[in-house]
Amino acid sequence: MLWLSVCQAADPERSVIQIFTFAQQPVWDAPWRFDAVRRMGGSGFVIKGKRIMTNAHVVSWGRQIIVRRYQDPRPYVAEVEYVGHDCDLAVLSVQDSHFFENLDPLELGELPKVRSGVVTYGYPAGGEEISYTRGVVSRIELEAYAHTGNRRLLSCQTDAAINPGNSGGPVIQDDRVVGVAFQGMAGLENAGFFIPTPVIEHFLKDVEDKHYDGFPFAGLRVTPLQNPAYRSLLKLPENDLGARVDGMLPIPSTEKALKLDDVLLKIGDFPVASDGTILYRGNRVSSALAFQSVQAGENLPLEIWRDGQRTNISMLVSAYDGDRAAGYQYDTLPRYLVYGGLVFTPLSLDYLRTLGRNTPEISIGEMYYEMYYRNFEEPAKTRPEPIVLASVLADSVNANLRIRGRALLDQINGIRIEKLEDVVRAFETGTNEFDQLEFLPHHSFETLERAEVSKANSRILKTYGIANDRRL
Amino acid sequence: MKSLIFLFAVLFAIALQGQTPERKRAQPSPWERSVVTLEISRKQYDYYQPWTRKTGRAQKTGMYVGDHQILTTADELFDRTLVRLQKGGRGRWWLGEVSWIDYYANLALVTTTDEDFWRDLNPAKLGGSVPEDGTLQILRWHDGNLENRRAEFTQFTVREGQLAAVNQPVLEADSDIQNAGWGEIITANSHAVGILSAQEGRMCTAIPATFVQNILEARKQGQFHGLGYFHFYWQGSQNPASLARLKLTGEPRGVIVSSVPERTDGCEQVIHTQDVILNIDGFDLDIQGDYVDPEYGNLMLESLATRNKWAGDDLKVQIWRDGKLTNIVYRLPKYEYSVSLVPSATYDQEPEYLILGGLVFQPLTDSYLQSWGTDWRRRSPFRLNYYRNDPPAKDRPALVLMSQVLPDAYNIGYQEQRCLVVDKVNGKHISRLAELREALDKPVNGFHVIELVQSDSLRRIVIAAGDSEKEATSRILKRYGIDEPYHFAPKVN
Repeated sequence: MLWLSVCQAADPERSVIQIFTFAQQPVWDAPWRFDAVRRMGGSGFVIKGKRIMTNAHVVSWGRQIIVRRYQDPRPYVAEVEYVGHDCDLAVLSVQDSHFFENLDPLELGELPKVRSGVVTYGYPAGGEEISYTRGVVSRIELEAYAHTGNRRLLSCQTDAAINPGNSGGPVIQDDRVVGVAFQGMAGLENAGFFIPTPVIEHFLKDVEDKHYDGFPFAGLRVTPLQNPAYRSLLKLPENDLGARVDGMLPIPSTEKALKLDDVLLKIGDFPVASDGTILYRGNRVSSALAFQSVQAGENLPLEIWRDGQRTNISMLVSAYDGDRAAGYQYDTLPRYLVYGGLVFTPLSLDYLRTLGRNTPEISIGEMYYEMYYRNFEEPAKTRPEPIVLASVLADSVNANLRIRGRALLDQINGIRIEKLEDVVRAFETGTNEFDQLEFLPHHSFETLERAEVSKANSRILKTYGIANDRRL
Repeated sequence: MKSLIFLFAVLFAIALQGQTPERKRAQPSPWERSVVTLEISRKQYDYYQPWTRKTGRAQKTGMYVGDHQILTTADELFDRTLVRLQKGGRGRWWLGEVSWIDYYANLALVTTTDEDFWRDLNPAKLGGSVPEDGTLQILRWHDGNLENRRAEFTQFTVREGQLAAVNQPVLEADSDIQNAGWGEIITANSHAVGILSAQEGRMCTAIPATFVQNILEARKQGQFHGLGYFHFYWQGSQNPASLARLKLTGEPRGVIVSSVPERTDGCEQVIHTQDVILNIDGFDLDIQGDYVDPEYGNLMLESLATRNKWAGDDLKVQIWRDGKLTNIVYRLPKYEYSVSLVPSATYDQEPEYLILGGLVFQPLTDSYLQSWGTDWRRRSPFRLNYYRNDPPAKDRPALVLMSQVLPDAYNIGYQEQRCLVVDKVNGKHISRLAELREALDKPVNGFHVIELVQSDSLRRIVIAAGDSEKEATSRILKRYGIDEPYHFAPKVN
């Protein structure tokens, strides 16, 4: 009877998969702990090679991933084979080979045209059965991907409803997958977003070598060059081509190829317009997309305007994770050190999210500045991994401390803290009777008696059920 | 029908009962001859469009303190165009004028030359103490009557002033009075014990009368040069290990200096980091930084900068430094709005601006940030707001902002740029609008090159200089209905 119902199902819904992830995230201000297990629902679809494609955010921090076929009650255990957090895509495998019996992989289509019709398939909240919603492609451009929060990739906007649970499901046009449903946007009605096929194909090509490198990231701030005076100063032709490099992150491959104030005329095959856009398959989008059109590790030819003349250069493009703390992080558990009940951990967006409304404005401001502005404004003072005193586990050894957490660390025993290892080194190499810790912004400080801390450490770990005093 | 007539009769009787007999007027309060109403008309600026101005009007309370002077708070007296005074809560208004005002202390004296006004007024007695049961009265004229609301004393404490971030003692009281905080008088035992300066919910904040008296007296003697403050950061010494590390033995006491910014008044900074401050002006400090004030009880040490001491006065300070007791003399710096890189106020001064080909330049001030509304600290751009934490430096005493662009063909390409801090113009460092004006006199090869502070936003703007700029500016002013291309504050020497 069950088999009959599967046979009766119309394509392509048979290949649309329901996914349940039992996820457990770390607690970023108590990094040895985990939150309660949460069940998250999502969707996916079968692709070539007996694999399931879905969103990275559907399976992130998953302890167990259960997948179900269309109208089939049997649960199957799946595993993440590849995940690309920057592009919010993942490929799952299922150990039980019966799972893929009679399931045809869905074929990938082209980038859909704006105004063309699409249907989203998936298992959104509000019911148990598969759901279909029809809409049109409203817009195609670079959009911030909310999963990490600090990358912009190509995205399609549609008025087809995309609700929680739709994530990872296919968006179909003419029986081919033209996208993976992935996010909505607060404040916008009838607007959902899907990851279009160029991004999906880039991801699948990337993992062909069984390793995911990530999308190339040039780290450039490209600004329009439309004012006639500025163009005249640079002796640029009045042809509406060229946008200026106004800022760049310290990415070696970028710094090697480009200089501030270079004018980008062409990136690969894409001429750069004076508003900083390129024409991509009939859509005018940010020129940042041109850097994503090749794989990390490839060379990209650039035509630039430098020192008053046209120059051709080649730029090695690479993926970049130097700004990972400024986005949401996955897969790697947070680093920490517990010393005398003081919990130290790297500053990150995930940590900032733990701060409540009662956190002093000046503390939040200092951390926010450190994370998002210091590297632009004071590169020489930038710390590779700013460390915060996240909390203080109450014990007699730290009972008199006035600072109880949520403070950005400046130095310990005179050692400037650039990363977590510096904290370890400062405590382990201290020779004085006291450890002195200084915090930003006004050098408020605390003092610990080293001998007392030494006696208290194991007691504190035991009291608070912490197996290890550090994760480095 | 019978029952209907009966019903009317009952209603008539009830109505008659409801009429109150002519109320016997209570004995007039002596305060009726001391409390006055002030009406202030003033200019209100929109700092986002600094060339526009509106007018506003406010009423507040003052009290006669003798010598033809009405004492009130300075709040709402800034940017005034007309001040009027009324006594007795009704009737005639007299033209007033501010004879003295101090925005930092939030105090003002208002007078009038019309002798009629002063007739029948009795000076209020300032001072006195809060009664043991904590009962206070709040007075103001309201709808022709002297409103007398009960308040309950909560505490004396130290808070930043209403119009300036300088610490000073305040009296806090709980009351159900509505819309207060505008100079209402707090009384007890026939004395004015405070002037209301703010209200949040039921909590009323007042400037203690004794604090006011001290300032007025010092002013009379020519010794009041503004409020002083302590120009260093300190923290309590609740952690005995911190004192032990500094080798201070005995009962834990004092506070530890954590950071000492450079003084901008030319005085030597005699306080050092890691000094333990034990005593200021004869008052011992406990580990929280409190001292016992003879008038107010436990108060934070910041209050000692305004306890009968004023800017420029010397304070004896006992400190523990390098393992020994040391006595030093600390000269109180004057608190001024310019002690912050982003001035917290610019009173009695029209907003400065300069328009260059549609690019609008302004000083970065709290007043500008406040154009984001009541929740401006959260809603205004983070980076601009964060400059408020920075002290001014010799090479950067203030900041100039390119606040917005008034779109025109001349500035095409920059229309969406806003809220950018200017670093250099035509190669010259810019901290003041006047410097910007000078820099614009020296364009580079026919262009104005505007370098913006290196941050996460646009770094450079280039526009044409010369006739095209002048034509564009003139065209833009006309199109946007702006009378003048700039306004600069009078130069202060």
